[in-house]
Amino acid sequence: MSRLIDVENLTLQFDTDEGRITAVDDVSFSLEAGEVMGLVGESGSGKSVTAKSLMKLNPRNAIYGENTKITLHLEDGPVDVMSLQNDREMKIVRGGSISLIFQEPMASFAPAISIGDQMVEQLLIHTNFSKAQAKEVSIEMLDRVGISDPSTRFGQYAFELSGGMRQRAMIAMALSTKPKLLIADEPTTALDVTIQAQVIDLMKDLVSEFGMGIIFITHDLGVIAQTADKVAVMYLGRLVEQGTVRDVIRRPAHPYTRGLIAALPTLDDIDAPLTPIPGDIPSPLERPPGCVYNTRCQEVVGSRCSTQVPAFYQVQPDHAAACHIYDPEGGTE
Amino acid sequence: MVQFLRFATIRAALAFFTLCLVSFIVFSLMELVPGDCAERYLAFKNSQGAQISIADIEAERVRLGLDRPYLERWTSWIFNAFQGEFGDSCILRLNINQLLGQKVWLSIGICLGSLFLAYLIAVPVGIIAATSRNPYLNNGLRIVSYLGLALPNFLLALMIMLFSTVFFGDSLTGLFSPEYRDAPWDWPKIKDFLGHVWLPVFILGWSATAFAIQTVRALMSDEISKLYVTAAAARGVSGRRLLMRYPARHALSPIINSLGFDLNRIFNELPIVALILTLTEAGSLLIEALARSNDQQLAGAIIFFLTGSIIAINFITDIALAIVDPRIRRSILG
Repeated sequence: MSRLIDVENLTLQFDTDEGRITAVDDVSFSLEAGEVMGLVGESGSGKSVTAKSLMKLNPRNAIYGENTKITLHLEDGPVDVMSLQNDREMKIVRGGSISLIFQEPMASFAPAISIGDQMVEQLLIHTNFSKAQAKEVSIEMLDRVGISDPSTRFGQYAFELSGGMRQRAMIAMALSTKPKLLIADEPTTALDVTIQAQVIDLMKDLVSEFGMGIIFITHDLGVIAQTADKVAVMYLGRLVEQGTVRDVIRRPAHPYTRGLIAALPTLDDIDAPLTPIPGDIPSPLERPPGCVYNTRCQEVVGSRCSTQVPAFYQVQPDHAAACHIYDPEGGTE
Repeated sequence: MVQFLRFATIRAALAFFTLCLVSFIVFSLMELVPGDCAERYLAFKNSQGAQISIADIEAERVRLGLDRPYLERWTSWIFNAFQGEFGDSCILRLNINQLLGQKVWLSIGICLGSLFLAYLIAVPVGIIAATSRNPYLNNGLRIVSYLGLALPNFLLALMIMLFSTVFFGDSLTGLFSPEYRDAPWDWPKIKDFLGHVWLPVFILGWSATAFAIQTVRALMSDEISKLYVTAAAARGVSGRRLLMRYPARHALSPIINSLGFDLNRIFNELPIVALILTLTEAGSLLIEALARSNDQQLAGAIIFFLTGSIIAINFITDIALAIVDPRIRRSILG
């Protein structure tokens, strides 16, 4: 496998009226071609913002950290995403080599423009196709994602399609330019469970077929377990654990990940009480010093948790957690 | 296409029905006012020194057809109205078509001109205001806009007249110079007319523009923050294309919707401005007909034209909406 994207020290702040909010704090990860990475966390943990950073798609008041470096490795050589300036340069990460699927398929289609027109528009921006060719490719893609009667659907509007159909159309549109990286921001959250499974299967098929990388953003560990090769867990803008999906779910290392997994309802024992993580996610305006999770952590190992930001410690090969527990120099005194 | 025509026909029929209903309401309300036209007219004659008896009033009523039930009178009136015949004004004893002449068309023209001017300015300015980050531009626009909303039209009209009288010796009143007033329409008269009509159009357009800028700006800001715009940006759509094809295109339907409402506002403001600028237009004649003489025929005719034009513009915006917005189009076409 070849390296697809490297994200190093991604830090992102928003300038707001209430002050500067840190949304993403020193996040680093990388992805190989053909690999599916799950990005997990509660709402407000910075997963979507992280994903949008890869396309420089955050609002105008976003300020990227100085050391932030995002490198996209393409066939023609590496692209330094942070250095992309104007719209022309940015095309490559916006719909060209990276595509983004949003949580709400209804809201992400323009209501008064037909689905086909939006697909053709994207193809005309990123390829040298003629209009007729773009239409042909779009209908073919609609057919590929399992939409019946694709040439009729092509002329229809988002409001005329069912939820699952819309998300399929969204996937067809996202993949029509043959991107190297697909970012799926909670693509199945707004769908019925039965449709969810269909859409996830479809995405998995298409990944292996197109050989691209996927960053799958979700708060649903069940979905991650089904789809991803590896997982990154985020809390309050920081990455707290990274590893292969099997390791992280079987043997979660960070107390937060453990809490997340314990909080999952189980169908095996419907009388079992739910064990939520106590407390609320702190406001990003009042980020706790030290480890960001220390205010809710049940495994605090001393004062350093609230004073010192933990480094990533390797707990197994390909599995690391940012927690003082794993400090080989006496974290658990 | 057939379905579209059917939709247009249904809307047209509804518009027609609304027009009848409005005229009926006006007719009924005027019926409730004590004292009919026969009494008013004879009272007027009485004040000129003539001796009037009850029998005279009755005779006058019969002559005017006021003795018939008012439903019957309304029915025959509306029937004639659609043939362009409005009868005589009962006080002025003149044929209404003659009396109104071009006044109605002048009024409608002034209002449509103001509406056109307002949106001609408001659409680009509103879009710029919604997308610009420049605080000076935004605050400047806001101040101008609030001035437009807060400054009453008649005050603006008075100020302009005062200014012009003091500095140019021309009060800028009226729609025509005296020599053209009764002249047939020709090129010099049109030039003279345009030289006068800009002022009422400007004054009425002023507050309408301020209002419309706020509308356009609010709608645009609303649309810009929607997910489909971000999604389009994420697909690589950028610059002017992103702005015009996405938020601007989608803000269009509610803007079209607000046109009818704005025209109504301008119509309501016209008589006051007309009074100050001594314009001979239909709005002030309507006030006269309603307030002074209870002149059912005249008031009915003017209201018929005014509501007719408002209903017409609403009909047009309905059709335009169906063309612009696929959601509405599909709900019609099934």
